[in-house]
Amino acid sequence: MIVAEQKPLNEIKALIADADKVLILGCGTCVTVCFAGGEKEVAILASQLRMATRLDGQEKEIRELTVQRQCEFEYNELAADYVSDADIVVSLACGIGVQTMNEQYPDKLTVPGLNTGGLSQPTEQGVWEERCQACGDCVLALTGGLCPVARCAKSLLNGPCGGSQRGICEVYADRETPCVWDQIYKRLEKLGKLDMLMEIQPAKNWHSSRDGGQRKIVREDLRL
Amino acid sequence: MNYTKRLLAEVGLEPERLEMFFLSSAEGVRFAEIATEMTERARRLGPSPLKNEKRFEQPTEVEG
Amino acid sequence: MSDNGYITGSSLEKALKAGFFVATGELGPPQSADRHEIEHKAQFLKEIVESVNITDNQTAVVRMSSISVAVMLLEMGIEPNIQMTCRDRNRIAIQSDLLGAYALGVRNLLCLTGDHQTFGNHPTSKNVHDMDSISLLQMCRTMRDDKVFQCGDKIKGQEPRFFLGAAANPFADPFEFRPFRLGKKVKAGADFIQTQLIFNVPKFREYMRRVVDLGLHEKTYILAGVGPIRSLGAAKYMATKVPGMEVDPEYIERMRDCTKDLPSLADIKAMDKPEEAKEARRLRKEASENEGIQICAEIINACKEIEGVAGVHIMAIEWEEAVDRIVQQCQIGPKYDPARQAV
Repeated sequence: MIVAEQKPLNEIKALIADADKVLILGCGTCVTVCFAGGEKEVAILASQLRMATRLDGQEKEIRELTVQRQCEFEYNELAADYVSDADIVVSLACGIGVQTMNEQYPDKLTVPGLNTGGLSQPTEQGVWEERCQACGDCVLALTGGLCPVARCAKSLLNGPCGGSQRGICEVYADRETPCVWDQIYKRLEKLGKLDMLMEIQPAKNWHSSRDGGQRKIVREDLRL
Repeated sequence: MNYTKRLLAEVGLEPERLEMFFLSSAEGVRFAEIATEMTERARRLGPSPLKNEKRFEQPTEVEG
Repeated sequence: MSDNGYITGSSLEKALKAGFFVATGELGPPQSADRHEIEHKAQFLKEIVESVNITDNQTAVVRMSSISVAVMLLEMGIEPNIQMTCRDRNRIAIQSDLLGAYALGVRNLLCLTGDHQTFGNHPTSKNVHDMDSISLLQMCRTMRDDKVFQCGDKIKGQEPRFFLGAAANPFADPFEFRPFRLGKKVKAGADFIQTQLIFNVPKFREYMRRVVDLGLHEKTYILAGVGPIRSLGAAKYMATKVPGMEVDPEYIERMRDCTKDLPSLADIKAMDKPEEAKEARRLRKEASENEGIQICAEIINACKEIEGVAGVHIMAIEWEEAVDRIVQQCQIGPKYDPARQAV
């Protein structure tokens, strides 16, 4: 799922510096599940901002609202009155939600309260690890179901490189991050498919990824 | 508790203003001790800087 | 292919093909636009090794580019091996640089993935890695032998013809897979290989045994990576802080013991006369350097006996003066190899 983390409080304060009335708008989907921008997080941030702006002698009116999914126009319609009342909207949705709000309510600036940071898996309580880079040309069948584009620091297709030691990737200072190619090797070995690793994978076609420009999926069969 | 203290610190308030204690209603002596301790702390830290006049009546309805 | 059967006719290629035990050296370019540093260091390597590697933004620290330094070396009459990593350039820039490198006289090329930028001084930069060392080798071989660019367009005119090299790390994991990965590099087009620094001869021997089993030594020339340890501190650093390197504890012991009969660092601190302290430090340095060179020579001599090893790649960065002593002691290279004098 899409995961995000809240921006530091001072950064958010700076974003609303010129406003008197602020709307904090949360989202009930991805950012709720990763505890960054749901109803509860909206309430906490609103409370912090009220206190902080009062301490600064610049108290602002902070209102709260959470919609089901901020990337969809029909859900954001609920916020119409709140938005027109506010001077600025701080969105606690992912980057998609922030942009949808700006498009839907072009007379108000919606600023991001979060840093969107990955398509990740909740590997344990409180931990989300990046798994997918949305490269548009999935190679998981070639690597035993472990993604080298997202999980190898160098996105190697013919790994591992010489920096893989005892299953650990040399790039990360924590010396704990596993080398995904070591994991791929062990998986393919277990599946009896090591010969797949002897195939030379040519340079990837990055055109289907962000490198080719903004992507658009159109499904004619689903259009009204 | 640690998380909430951190939230207060981010805002610029002293985290020591907030504390959580566990005790039963039968522990009268302990309650008195705690009340004394927190009063001392409050005196030491001074009045809350948030005590000045409210500028807005903050609405807190939540929908969605 | 040229008439005489060589791919490029470079000195490195000719020496390897003739069956001599070859030695190559290495230079690290300056972190500035000053060419004098190169001219000063390169002269220590002139005529004593077959050709000299020039690193490409080693450890992701910005340095003068490999190709530009290669041109300076060519002007000095030294044969360069340029290094090209995948970290900083996409396929367009790589092919473009290689066309120029060939036109400027470069003939030996090492295709590497490259150290990740978090190791260097610009960790905030964008990560390229458009390809990896293996797809890079494949692309270079295709440009040379099929005369087409990576996209399939024909190269109209002179194609870049390089003697292609790659790196191999016998000490990385998974150990069982490394010889097979070497095979992959050979299949992709590696004409020669340089390994990571060897400070664990038994493990290297085992690695080479597997490589020979796969017949790879007959398809590519393998040069063992060697280098002199300069001090005990350097030995310890390599043993603990460099991923992918293994150092036999015996060598660390020797680097420690070689100064045991000399005044210790604590003794030196306590000395009154500065000249006395300076001399003591000099003696310690000399003893460490001698031991480091001695160990290097022993490793080289051990490699000479390992089947499949066609030579050595000597890495003495910032201590290029040591290379002459090493090749002289081991009697290898164009100047000191007795087999070469007879030719």
